[in-house]
Amino acid sequence: MLTTLLAVARQALNRQLVYRAANLAGLVTNAFFGFLRASVLIALFAAKTAPRVGGLDLRAAVTYTGVAQALIVWVALWGWWDLIDAIKTGDIASDLQRPLSVFWYWCAQDAGRAVAQLVMRSLPIMAVYAVLFPLALPRDVVQWIGFGTAIVMAWLLCFAWRFLYSLAGFWLTDATSIGRAAAFLMTFLSGFLMPVGFFPPWAQTLMLLTPFPSFINTPIEIFVNVATGPHMLALLAIQAFWIVVLITLAHVVLYAGLRRLTMEGG
Amino acid sequence: MISHYLKLVSGVLRSQLAYRTAFIVDVITVGMSNALEFVAFALAFAGFGHIGGWSLWQVAFSWGLSEAAFGTMDMIFSGFDPARFAQHIKRGTFDQFLLRPVGLVTQIFASDFALRRLGRVAQGLAIFALANAGAGVIWTPAKLAYLPLVFVGAVAFYGALFVFGATLCFWSTEGLEIVNLFTYGGTTMASYPMHIYTDVVRRLFTFVVPTALMIYYPALFFFDLPDPTGLPKIAQYLAPLVGFGVLTLALVSWRVGVYKYQGTGS
Amino acid sequence: MITVEHLVKEFHVFERRGWLRRRTRLVRAVDGISFTITPGELVGYLGPNGAGKSTTIKMLTGILVPSAGVVQVNGRVPWRERVAHVGRIGAVFGQRNTLWPDLPVADSFDLLRHIYHIPPDRYRANLQEFRDLLGLDDFMGFPVRTLSLGQRMRANLAAAWLHDPDIVFLDEPTIGLDVVAKEHIRAFLQRVKLERGTTVILTTHDLADVERLCERVMMIDHGQLLFDGKLAELVERFGGERELVVDFAESYADVAVDGATVTQREGLRATYRFARAKITASELISRVSARYRLRDLSVREPEIEATIRRIYEQKLL
Repeated sequence: MLTTLLAVARQALNRQLVYRAANLAGLVTNAFFGFLRASVLIALFAAKTAPRVGGLDLRAAVTYTGVAQALIVWVALWGWWDLIDAIKTGDIASDLQRPLSVFWYWCAQDAGRAVAQLVMRSLPIMAVYAVLFPLALPRDVVQWIGFGTAIVMAWLLCFAWRFLYSLAGFWLTDATSIGRAAAFLMTFLSGFLMPVGFFPPWAQTLMLLTPFPSFINTPIEIFVNVATGPHMLALLAIQAFWIVVLITLAHVVLYAGLRRLTMEGG
Repeated sequence: MISHYLKLVSGVLRSQLAYRTAFIVDVITVGMSNALEFVAFALAFAGFGHIGGWSLWQVAFSWGLSEAAFGTMDMIFSGFDPARFAQHIKRGTFDQFLLRPVGLVTQIFASDFALRRLGRVAQGLAIFALANAGAGVIWTPAKLAYLPLVFVGAVAFYGALFVFGATLCFWSTEGLEIVNLFTYGGTTMASYPMHIYTDVVRRLFTFVVPTALMIYYPALFFFDLPDPTGLPKIAQYLAPLVGFGVLTLALVSWRVGVYKYQGTGS
Repeated sequence: MITVEHLVKEFHVFERRGWLRRRTRLVRAVDGISFTITPGELVGYLGPNGAGKSTTIKMLTGILVPSAGVVQVNGRVPWRERVAHVGRIGAVFGQRNTLWPDLPVADSFDLLRHIYHIPPDRYRANLQEFRDLLGLDDFMGFPVRTLSLGQRMRANLAAAWLHDPDIVFLDEPTIGLDVVAKEHIRAFLQRVKLERGTTVILTTHDLADVERLCERVMMIDHGQLLFDGKLAELVERFGGERELVVDFAESYADVAVDGATVTQREGLRATYRFARAKITASELISRVSARYRLRDLSVREPEIEATIRRIYEQKLL
């Protein structure tokens, strides 16, 4: 089955590579918003006497905005309607004909997409940032390995979450409102708008009760050396925990949804 | 022309309101997701104190104004929303507009009126109202008279950006994300005090795409603040003129786009 | 009254070669067509896919501007006086919808009443007539989006005639419909033609439409007008082979005859195929009846379908 999944991923990768113009436009968008947020942070830090907020100094904060832009594309934080559409049109039925787990099939496809966009957008945006700003980079090999692990888990986590809320399509005729509500949650709680560390303690506690900081905030904190050693391991463990939870939930809900589909028709 | 518009748009509105609960949920979701960015900023702001010398109230003032204007524009100009308009060109349904004995611009305006974007207007107005509690604006008759003009000018300006975006569709329906930079990106930019951006960027958004003239410079007038960018005082009074001027330009370019479409087909 | 003279439409077609290079080719979708259509005619406009039919129609309706040539419809140049021109015509495009998808049919019609400034009494009379003729009552209250293809087409047809247009353009109106629905639509078109004398230009691939409705056909291929005349003439000139079906009075072992080939034999019935060019029907009948005793016979014209296919494939025009 693994070879089949790899083939599926490869196909998805090639499909994504075709969208050169769209991804180029997306890259420009990433750059624009990244610089905008960086400007805001630079201005904010100028007002500060103490150099660090939430563990981040200015260099780390600016790096944060860049890595965040790279990450949102890699994990596909928004704008993923594929599964919702497949359920709406009934195409999901053809997935049942395949001798593959539905979840892992879609996961393999998303893996292909992610790698393609990593190359077309995430790496280029980091390159642009590296040219324009002094960046805070992982301080040693351990940190790099931690970061690599974290982003792979962040992607898997985000995929499981997207998969999960898309399943609402089995019960609701218009699941796009779910998609929008989900986007709303993720944007705020993942630490994309502002690093989690910038929020007042009570807000941080609330955010950390959800899986979302593990999507964006966790990998970046590792990258800019805010989370090192045991702290880093703890964050990775939290990611792993949420992966298990979300994937299990996804399978349960998927099973329920498919039963509904086959019993009640399309 | 107006009567045709009203008649056509009433149909659109009626079909939106047909699903009452879904509509209300949508309005609330839209309102909340747009407010999130400000909430994140406000929560993080506590750790810093000021941004470019502006207080949180002052940022809220320009933020709320920009959001309320953009949301209003988003409703009225939904027909020109490039994301939507591109579908007409791609699917060939634009031809249907050419076959009706009503002016094209009237028809496009009437083709959609996304009431759910009222949510964005509402949160913008709410933030603006809150801002006035602490922004310390000394209201004079001149300022009170100018405020609605700034609002209307901003609506016209943002609308012009939509119209330019729709015009681009006549040449290509790909890579429209670039337009989003100026619309959604522009309004985000305008929400912050624009002297925090680098000179090049700020001049681009003052003289080429005059976003700064629509919210930031008038804000200086409202706050009675000196201009850190060194422009003549008149820059603060140009908002409505520039807004409608750019809109006129946009509608002219739209005409050019239609001629192009009729010359080369889809 | 429609006048078209030396109409030309060229397109730049982009071809992507390799990574970045793009070449443009100039394609003549319509290559010097001329014709005149007088009021009240119902003209069939035939041609294979890509022949230039839709492009011609788009220029007649004002959607496209020609590269060269003259188009006059009721004294107007379509794209120059768009609003005036479009107010006097109707158009229905096969798979596309002319009505507002989310509105109930009745509401769409009401909107049209305003847009086309239809006088209230004309509106009421037309609406009543079309409701009866097309059976619209079943679905007047439903959003157009929810209708079946047949229902949508009927609604679109009614909409096209609602404002008493002088000319109606129909682009594949029966495509995708079942036999019964097609019949209803043809009946409707015959009826309106008779009663209102609307000029109708009908592009279609369904040759049964052509047989039923059109006296005049224009055939276009590769942007050029290959034939413009009566349908009967088209069949006459290119009909190729016809068939003579004979019922014999008694059983014969061999029913061969000079000038024709026996293609079928079943009991007392035989089918002869003969070439129009080689022998006339009456001559063949004489030869057969001279040799064998007949009880009954009939001459079958080739199906239009086959005739036109021959014309395309063998490039007879």
